[in-house]
Amino acid sequence: MSVGKNIKHDSSYGHVTGESIFVDDRPVTHGELFVGVVGSPVACGVLKSIDSSEALRHESCVGVYSAADLSAKKWGAIFHDQPILVEDEIGYMGEPLCIFASTSRDDIEYIKTLFKFDIEEGKPIFSISDAVAKDSLIYAAPSPFAQGNVDEAFKTAKNTLEGKFICGGQEHFYMESQATVAYPMENGQVEVHSSSQHPSETQRVVAEALGLPLHHVVCVVKRMGGGFGGKESQAAPIAAYAALVAQKLNKPARLILTKDEDMIITGKRHPFANDYKVAFDDNGKIEAIKMILRSDAGAYSDLSSSILERGMFHADGAYFLKNVHIEGYAYKTNNHSNTAYRGFGGPQGNMTIESIIEDIACFLKKDSFEIRRHNIYENNNVKTPYGQDVENNMLPQLFDNLYESSDYKNRLEEIKEFNSQKNGKIKGLSLTATKFGIAFTARFLNQGNALVNVQLDGTIQVSTGATEMGQGVNTKIQQICAHAFGIPSDDVQVMTTSTEKNHNTSPTAASSGSDINGAAALSACNKVKGRLTELAKLIFAGEESNDLKEYEIGKGSIDPDIVFKEKVVKQVSTGKEIALKDLVFKAYFNRISVGGYAFFKTPGLGFCKSKVEGKAFNYFTQGVAATEVLIDEYTGEMKVMRADILMDLGRPINPGIDRGQVTGAYVQGMGWVTTENLFYNDKGSLISHSPTTYKIPNVQDTPRIFNVDFISNDDNDCNVHRSKAVGEPPFLLGTSAWTAVKHALSFRSNGELIDITSPATGEVILNELTGLKSGN
Amino acid sequence: MRNSILVYINGVRHELDGTHAFDTVASYLRYVKGLTGTKVVCSEGDCGACTVLISRFDGKKMGQTHSINSCISFMYLLDRCHLITVEGLKKLDHLHPVQDAMMKHHGAQCGYCTPGIICSMAAMSEDAVNGKISIDEKKVKNYLTGNLCRCTGYEPIVKAGVETDLGQVTKFKDQYDYASMSNEFSSLQDQDVLISNKTKEVLLPHSYDSLYASGSLGKKKLTSGATDLGVLVNKGKLDLQHIVSLNNILESYKVEDTESELVIGAKASLTDVEKACEKDFLEFSQKLHVFASPQIKNKGTLVGNLVNASPIGDTIPFLRVSGAKVVLNNGKDERVISIDDFFLGGYKELDLKPDELVTKIIVPKNNYKFKLYKVSIRKDLDISSVSMAIAYKLDSGVFTDFKIGIGGVGPVVMRIKSVEQAIIGTKLDQATFKKVAKMLDSEIKPLSDVRGTSDYRKLLAHNLMLKFCDEVIVDSGMNFSEAAL
Repeated sequence: MSVGKNIKHDSSYGHVTGESIFVDDRPVTHGELFVGVVGSPVACGVLKSIDSSEALRHESCVGVYSAADLSAKKWGAIFHDQPILVEDEIGYMGEPLCIFASTSRDDIEYIKTLFKFDIEEGKPIFSISDAVAKDSLIYAAPSPFAQGNVDEAFKTAKNTLEGKFICGGQEHFYMESQATVAYPMENGQVEVHSSSQHPSETQRVVAEALGLPLHHVVCVVKRMGGGFGGKESQAAPIAAYAALVAQKLNKPARLILTKDEDMIITGKRHPFANDYKVAFDDNGKIEAIKMILRSDAGAYSDLSSSILERGMFHADGAYFLKNVHIEGYAYKTNNHSNTAYRGFGGPQGNMTIESIIEDIACFLKKDSFEIRRHNIYENNNVKTPYGQDVENNMLPQLFDNLYESSDYKNRLEEIKEFNSQKNGKIKGLSLTATKFGIAFTARFLNQGNALVNVQLDGTIQVSTGATEMGQGVNTKIQQICAHAFGIPSDDVQVMTTSTEKNHNTSPTAASSGSDINGAAALSACNKVKGRLTELAKLIFAGEESNDLKEYEIGKGSIDPDIVFKEKVVKQVSTGKEIALKDLVFKAYFNRISVGGYAFFKTPGLGFCKSKVEGKAFNYFTQGVAATEVLIDEYTGEMKVMRADILMDLGRPINPGIDRGQVTGAYVQGMGWVTTENLFYNDKGSLISHSPTTYKIPNVQDTPRIFNVDFISNDDNDCNVHRSKAVGEPPFLLGTSAWTAVKHALSFRSNGELIDITSPATGEVILNELTGLKSGN
Repeated sequence: MRNSILVYINGVRHELDGTHAFDTVASYLRYVKGLTGTKVVCSEGDCGACTVLISRFDGKKMGQTHSINSCISFMYLLDRCHLITVEGLKKLDHLHPVQDAMMKHHGAQCGYCTPGIICSMAAMSEDAVNGKISIDEKKVKNYLTGNLCRCTGYEPIVKAGVETDLGQVTKFKDQYDYASMSNEFSSLQDQDVLISNKTKEVLLPHSYDSLYASGSLGKKKLTSGATDLGVLVNKGKLDLQHIVSLNNILESYKVEDTESELVIGAKASLTDVEKACEKDFLEFSQKLHVFASPQIKNKGTLVGNLVNASPIGDTIPFLRVSGAKVVLNNGKDERVISIDDFFLGGYKELDLKPDELVTKIIVPKNNYKFKLYKVSIRKDLDISSVSMAIAYKLDSGVFTDFKIGIGGVGPVVMRIKSVEQAIIGTKLDQATFKKVAKMLDSEIKPLSDVRGTSDYRKLLAHNLMLKFCDEVIVDSGMNFSEAAL
């Protein structure tokens, strides 16, 4: 049985041998052109004209295209407000103004320098505070998430704290930068091979940009070298650039961004600056809380509205907030247009309340675990600020189990002792949680379709709208299909994702790739299985087919008496059996379909944002992490010494793959809150646009001790094979490294609250330490 | 004189003339040979996705196989090398054991960093079967310092490294025909190489004498490991046209360890220097540990780091306080000057005449004790915000000598003489260092940039003085009262 097994990633052989093909690994075909993108030299202004004469004189430059060459000028994941190429208003530094085609890959960088622009420079906005002051709002959540009576509760509160939580953005740093090859096809059609999480959106934007009907555009995605949300919306305009060249010059066109270009042009995780006021009793029980979430959307709306709302959906963290009021605003600035990134606003919301709890602990001079344990969703206290109940709640068990398994209590004592020695080093420990809502909050996206082709030898090709970016969705679908037919997983091949096989697909995002596409694939398998079941029954009953009479079956349905196992189909009641491949061949020979197509939608979803009622999420994936950090008091340097993670992933379809998602997400989250510092100059240019200056965690930054475990939970019956989504939820746990820094610093603060921003770089830590000490 | 280079790629002989000799190794592999397993992500040697393995003919045999960044290396630098890519690790249909282990432990997710990781791990397993190292978690991490992965959190990769079945490793010299490669390379070692195309020319002299005789110095760009030049070329900041390379000068690779000094040749790699310093300059060896990735250290040189003269240059503070001497040569005269005289004070201003090159660095063994500090946003493989080296002699609790070099706080790595004089002759105590640390504040004027603000750098320099003091107190076994910072 394949589901539940720790089998290898289906691309692992290709990955370790270098045989896996990514977009730029495709051989260059005859006459293929290379596309360059020319970015804006200012962050704000009006583009008056483009002088491309010198570029066009270059021997290898064969075409320059601007907004005027596009059939549709704007695109957008939700609102169509982002220029594909700038027409007049410039929104951010590096924004694509025009593109060009070159016959030589090597000339691209040089040709870029040959353009001249006439631009009337404007006055840019770079910070949330400036945007607030200028009322540069791009989206406001229609209604606050509110329960109870916050104002009343504040009146009677014993203790209150007010403050601001500020976190920076984050570069996706997918290893494979944005990449597309577009091929002109017959009759004006275009086929784009894109590194995209959202083939259908890429298809749509390409079609609109080129003025083509949708049936003349195919988007193909073999795999991505990482996505993390950065290729959910943003792959589309890149594909449109290459496709435009392919259409104009009738030649294949390749656009591969360099890492520097990619980091400058594309949007990132949203920075947030959240205000809060919290009331709590002497035990740290939260009595009321008011939060205002403010995000930097960048120049355009992209997915910022949904991201802001997911921030609001996760501002409760793992904690029951009886009297709560959460507002949300997204601001327009002259930064790159910020976009989806693993967690999708959830981390920014979740981290706010974890930070608040750390402050409450510091204020009350109590341990933060104690405060958290008082406040988590438990028993009847399961109503979220948006009205949905936390069902199948595993939080109490997760907290208590990790408290024990991480030896929290003893280690905290050791840390207190260590810190009291004042030997130039301080340690901190913090245990935080994730309770991540699974489903796209835009209901219509919770749908998918799958195509299952059973071949005559009993092997299977399956296609869905899921895109593989390393997360193992293909492997899970492979396992689901293999499991359905009782065949080895090697007998199932997950095929290249293409909009000609699966259409109207949703982005592989919101952690839901396996949930939606796995369920669709299972449903498609079951359709074929149902027909084969019925056929098998006829055969086992002794019915025959011949030239005059073929096997006739109805719609077909699955029957527990007919079991598919080890490549054999067996009737339990009679013991009769037939090899799967023989049964498939008989079906084919008797003109019974052995192909299945199925559609799936996540049932029971429906949430009204204005009324704040209904069911936003199908279920929650929960987990906890305890992180210990060590800080050098002289320099502010910080090292994560140990992390213990405990997750509830239901019944994992592939525990090995899920474990890799947990370790990967944790370290990525840790990077966001520690070393990953986006640094801009006063003109709005990103200075940290390569790994020399933008520091994602390397292997030496991983926790010295890294324990990852799952609890067993067989009750998640609302998802395929009772599994749970895993992609984003553990990202939120990486932020325990940041709260642990706050905890460590509190040993030198003499009761004063720790006021640091994220990421807690060495400089942030040292400045806070120095400030605390001079204050003492 | 040859007009092409000779390189074997995965055992297959290649002669390259000016058509492709100037390609980066990664471009040549990917776009000429179709060996697309080698990936390019950053084009600056910082992510390791482009990692490949090379073994260089050392005059007698094929040398140790080591990893390099192919994106910032040029094909002309691989004359008389065997180049192994991820595609060359399989032996017939059998995967290399690190490939098996990576599959088994889910070491690959998206797969883009994987070929580079595999190559780094293959270098590790090669060193292990050759008895140079034994593998544990720490070793695996060290070999992977130069490989970024954004998907896995590294945990599964480290596990794969530790669990690699070394019994199944075939040494490269057995997998490939190194005997005939060395024979052929040996027959070429007395020849210079000159390659050109329409716009570029590179000379690879086979000896220093040949280099001097060519008259290239001062006229052509001198390259050695090219770890910095490669980045500048890739990012369009430098168009290298006339090049002369030390690459084929075998005598330049030497490190001599005598009783009184360490003599480090111009082409000695930082990896070799790290190893050579273990005995007498352990602190420096350990600093080189976090200085850069294995791929960079295998190619980059100490002399290159010195002559590049970065204001941060992490090796320079040590060289300045150790009393190193710089050997300069123009073919007629050899000058041996103190490193303090080598730096003239301004940004990248050196006492290096256009027709001279630095052939050696001599580090004297003067029985100093060293403390070296490097503070950066990320601990490993990151350019420092501030780096500091202190050489000192302590006799009965009194500093009889004290030298301090700081990088990242001015246009050049600085010696701070006023601080040195204030400490020499004083007793080891926190009060003195507090005072001296304040003196330091007025001596340095750091810039604000991506690696930290001016104030932060000042604070760091200040605090590192205090840290030094406290550490020496602990080292000396003295009574350590509360370190009041």
